[in-house]
Amino acid sequence: MKKLLCTILAALLAVVPMACVSLARADSAGAFQPKLDRDTECEITVVGSYSNFEALEAEFERFNEFYPNVELTYLKPDDYNNLLGTVLEGKDTPNIFFSYPWMCGNDKYSTVAEHMEELSDPGLELNLDCIRPSLLNYEDDGKLRMVPVFARNYGMLVNNSLFEKEGLQVPTTWDELLAVCEAFRSKGYASPMMGYSKDASGCLMNILVYPEAVAALAGNAEMLQAANNMDASAGECMRHGLEAMTELIGKGYINLEKCGEISDNYTQLILRFFEGDVPMMACTGDTVSGTGKRESQSEAFSKSPFSYSFMPIPMSEAGGYFVDSVSIEFSVNKTCENLDMTNEFMRFLITREELNRMASVKRLVTPTQDLSFDAVYEPFAAVPAERILSPEVIGITDPLATQVRNAAYRVGIGELTVDEAISQYGSIEK
Amino acid sequence: MSRLKTSWIVMANAALMAAIVIFVALYSSHERKENYQHQVEHFVNTTIAMEQVTGNYLEGEQGICDNWAMYINSRDMTLEEAAEYVRATHARSDTSAHLIDMETLEGYSTKAKLNATDDYRVSYRRMELLGDGAWIADLGTAINITRTYTNPLNGEQSLAFCNRITVRDAETGEKRQAYLLRIVPTSNLAEKWVFPQEEYENEDFSIIDMESNYVIRERSFKNASFFEYYKSYNQPGIAAQTQLFEEILSRPGSFTMKDSKGRECIVAHAPITSTKGWVLLSSAPVQDLNAVTENWILIGVIAFGLLLLLVTDFLYMHAFNKKLQVMAREAEAANRAKTDFLSTMSHDIRTPMNAIIGLTTITEKKLDDRETVGENLRKISLASNHLLTLINDILDISKVESGKLTLSPLTFSIVETVQNLTNLSQPMIKEKNIDFSFRINRMKEEYLYADQLRLNQIYINILSNAIKYTQPGGSVSVDLREEESEKAGCVTLIYRVSDTGIGMTPEFMEKMYQPFSRQTDSRINSIQGTGLGLAITRQMVDLMNGTIECQSEVEKGTTFTITLDLPVADKPQEEMRIENVDVLIADDDPILLETAKDTLESLGIRADTAGTGMEAVEKIRQRHEAGNDYQVVILDWKMPDMDGVATIRKIRTEIDAQIPILLTSAYDWSDIEDAAKDAGTNGFIAKPLFRSRLYEKINELLGVETRPLESEDDYSDLAGMNILIAEDNDINWEIISTMLGMLGITSERAENGKICVEKMAEAAEGCYELIFMDIQMPEMNGLDATRNIRKLENKWAASIPIIAMTADAFSENVAECLKAGMNGHIAKPVDLKLVIKEIRRIKEERK
Repeated sequence: MKKLLCTILAALLAVVPMACVSLARADSAGAFQPKLDRDTECEITVVGSYSNFEALEAEFERFNEFYPNVELTYLKPDDYNNLLGTVLEGKDTPNIFFSYPWMCGNDKYSTVAEHMEELSDPGLELNLDCIRPSLLNYEDDGKLRMVPVFARNYGMLVNNSLFEKEGLQVPTTWDELLAVCEAFRSKGYASPMMGYSKDASGCLMNILVYPEAVAALAGNAEMLQAANNMDASAGECMRHGLEAMTELIGKGYINLEKCGEISDNYTQLILRFFEGDVPMMACTGDTVSGTGKRESQSEAFSKSPFSYSFMPIPMSEAGGYFVDSVSIEFSVNKTCENLDMTNEFMRFLITREELNRMASVKRLVTPTQDLSFDAVYEPFAAVPAERILSPEVIGITDPLATQVRNAAYRVGIGELTVDEAISQYGSIEK
Repeated sequence: MSRLKTSWIVMANAALMAAIVIFVALYSSHERKENYQHQVEHFVNTTIAMEQVTGNYLEGEQGICDNWAMYINSRDMTLEEAAEYVRATHARSDTSAHLIDMETLEGYSTKAKLNATDDYRVSYRRMELLGDGAWIADLGTAINITRTYTNPLNGEQSLAFCNRITVRDAETGEKRQAYLLRIVPTSNLAEKWVFPQEEYENEDFSIIDMESNYVIRERSFKNASFFEYYKSYNQPGIAAQTQLFEEILSRPGSFTMKDSKGRECIVAHAPITSTKGWVLLSSAPVQDLNAVTENWILIGVIAFGLLLLLVTDFLYMHAFNKKLQVMAREAEAANRAKTDFLSTMSHDIRTPMNAIIGLTTITEKKLDDRETVGENLRKISLASNHLLTLINDILDISKVESGKLTLSPLTFSIVETVQNLTNLSQPMIKEKNIDFSFRINRMKEEYLYADQLRLNQIYINILSNAIKYTQPGGSVSVDLREEESEKAGCVTLIYRVSDTGIGMTPEFMEKMYQPFSRQTDSRINSIQGTGLGLAITRQMVDLMNGTIECQSEVEKGTTFTITLDLPVADKPQEEMRIENVDVLIADDDPILLETAKDTLESLGIRADTAGTGMEAVEKIRQRHEAGNDYQVVILDWKMPDMDGVATIRKIRTEIDAQIPILLTSAYDWSDIEDAAKDAGTNGFIAKPLFRSRLYEKINELLGVETRPLESEDDYSDLAGMNILIAEDNDINWEIISTMLGMLGITSERAENGKICVEKMAEAAEGCYELIFMDIQMPEMNGLDATRNIRKLENKWAASIPIIAMTADAFSENVAECLKAGMNGHIAKPVDLKLVIKEIRRIKEERK
């Protein structure tokens, strides 16, 4: 009896771990089931405007677990937005390329559009249901030619340690924002809030104004239509944002001279924030995505690390807005070689798990339904639903956004007054 | 204490084992590091070699660009004309050239735009590639190569070899500076550029420019630039990072970093010296360069081996200790057994010795009482013989137990052996009045090759036990049968002795082969024996690869069966035929009659049988009356109705006084010899009736007809012989010389072997008939003396028969004597009958 019991126990000891291993394998394999020959040898190239895309390269590695002989490469062509059409027409055409909502309907990108595969085709089996519908940009013909892989939002990086050090609370309302700015000013901080200001593209002024303009248009269809039609009457949508920005600059809470020292809105902006003496740094989520990697590249941060987070800028008494817009999207070049494997890769990538994983690595907002946030984005989780705005859903077009951006920038640097900018809406040059 | 010592030994072994394993591990680790360093050096050297090849290739490509530039500079060309020229001279379809005005960053391509066959215009205004052309060296002085960039004309990732050229402004005619770019798609470059990947499976190469942007890269190199790649997966700190990047760009070397999979990689870097800031990089996982897993296998094997050794040693020690304990117990038991043995021996030796000494004392005091003296001498003789047997058995068992008992095979006659057996058993049979029968069956082979002495011993032991343990009036029967053996060249002898004796209990049978085992029974207290016989017999049977079986029942008797496979001797079987002879054989044993008839018929004799004496008389009478007498009649002595002697008498008186009659018996016929002779027997033939013996006796009878039998006590044939006796012991000399003197034989003494040799060397031819040679003597032993005698020049002396007469009685001693050149062996104490037999044998052979 004892012998029998020992034998059974020994057998169980041998079998149970094996069963666990095989169950674990089955579980992981259940996430993605390859459809093509796993020994397929081919090359897939993804091109985009990111200089580096480690998050995507990590996905390449994971895809290689299923298809070890598929060589995936990410490239950034020079002058991406202008040369994308040429690149797609060239010899070694890429398989997947970054695309943006503003490319749709833009004649300049008609060549690019011709290369875009229809991604809502059920035969491709992309799990589009995992993506927030507000981010899916179906065209008028009902086709989907680009799939969001990251979402963008607007806000400010907050040095929590500095607030704590100075005994201040992180502001959640406009008054609180003014109060802490004043407090920091009084404590000798030259520019309590900073941001990139050398160029309209990605400038702090737009980050302050744009969410307010979107909010103003959200409940006003007439104004929205006018704004999209570049009607000057729609300029009023910018007023609150422009006035608030002007107040911040005017009271010295944003020192444009200091901001001008930041030479780009990505690495240099991050490194400046990591100097540790900037309480608030206005930027987009795209910039936040670079913070993780640059912590070690900042001598100051390495010496004196601090806690920071990204939060909406409270430009009104009710707080800030979470503008949930697309950052980048992927389109498949339907004329590329190895289209089957390219679609297989898209089928692998466009899932809740992979998109969340990539967003986490990239430190960007995921486009998936569950909106899982990195710890840095934690404040955005507290934004009430009514203050989450989707420009795509609202129907804000790219020219509208450009007018707001140009207006904000020019008002910010003092080239235009608020009223001038409002009155010139529809024709404000960069 | 011993446990403590064992644990210390085990601990010491374990410590030694651990030290060896640690040493091997450290040495292995050291070797691995050294090997790794060699691998790294080799890896870097390969990269440097690649750098040189790369430099040569780039110089070649730059040379083409230089030639174009030199030609353009030597001519007064507009930018468009220069483009035309390059287009005309440019033969390769995979590359192109751009001629770009330095100021406007616009110009012409040698290839038309995509989908526009005649539009050659190209603009670099939006490209941050040609903003500052200061980095382009003067013509022919260096390789000027751009970073990888996107060809604005076709979107291909390319790089360009550059030169500054001077062209004429088409409108103003003034000189203008322009760039000449010879554009090579990186895909073309990568196709042409075959990196050697034979050494390491996961080795990847790349070329980076001075900003660490990849010019060419393989899959493991991630990000847009190498430094960015490094920073993405490694955080060494800014200072270390800056220093590393400077080193990469400035000199060959290597470093380790984590790749995108988190693996440790070795990266070798070699700046391409002919370029401005290009660096060749090669990367391979450290594991690939460090894959010396054999050492761990070695360590594992050594550790396992040592562990095994330790365990084996421990187990061996444990087993050895156990064995020692067993041996100690055995030694203790042996010691006890030795004490028991001595005690038993003391008793067994003292008993006959007591008889000898006591009777001798009594005899000395009663020398005048002739009857008492005679009786006492007979008892002394019995006691002496028993003592001799005891001593022989003790010697044998000691040899058996020491493993020194060896066999000395020689050719012998089984007939003689059986004869000897019956002879030896006769006195006891006679004394106890036991009904004895000895049957042989199908004994075809007479001469066998075995240790006759040991065979005799086996047979005698079994038979004497049967007689010994059978009450007077009981019966003992012996069957000897020959069968075919499974072994080639052998016969199987089956020797079965059955008695109606006291039998044995099962308990006794279990230990009967142990030394000094004797069945205890009130009826056999008087039976003398050493208790060694069966033990010796069993050992000898085992030694001869035979079997011994025993069935016994108390009060009913015992049957021993010994089966031995014995080789048949090479000695040719004598052709024995006696044609046209009628023989009648009479015996009350039907089996004997049947076997005897078979044997006689195998000789060619017409054999007739009779179951009783009366039947024999009747058959003889009928044949006699018919005028067809039997030529020979063989009658058993003991027959129920009329014994053999009475039957002879009746035949002689009533039928035929001349017919040759042989009397046969398994018993000693010395008591009836006179009566039988008186009755008219022509001879005796002992049972069992061997073929050769029958042949010999019948021939003898047919030849001499009724030759009267000589008495065995007639030694007249020996009288007058002179024998040389080599004997150092005075008493022994006295005994043998006296014995021989009783036979009418004279003898001379040689006190040792040397004297014996000298006497023989000096002796006149024929003065001695033979030599009795003791073996152990001073000066020269008997063996050496024999060898020396055999070497004498005198042929008579050298060939004189020499019989060993020695107390060295073992078979190997006999073999040694024969090997030394002797002709026979007589063991001491000397048996006079044996002496006479040997002398007669020698005499017979010398005839």
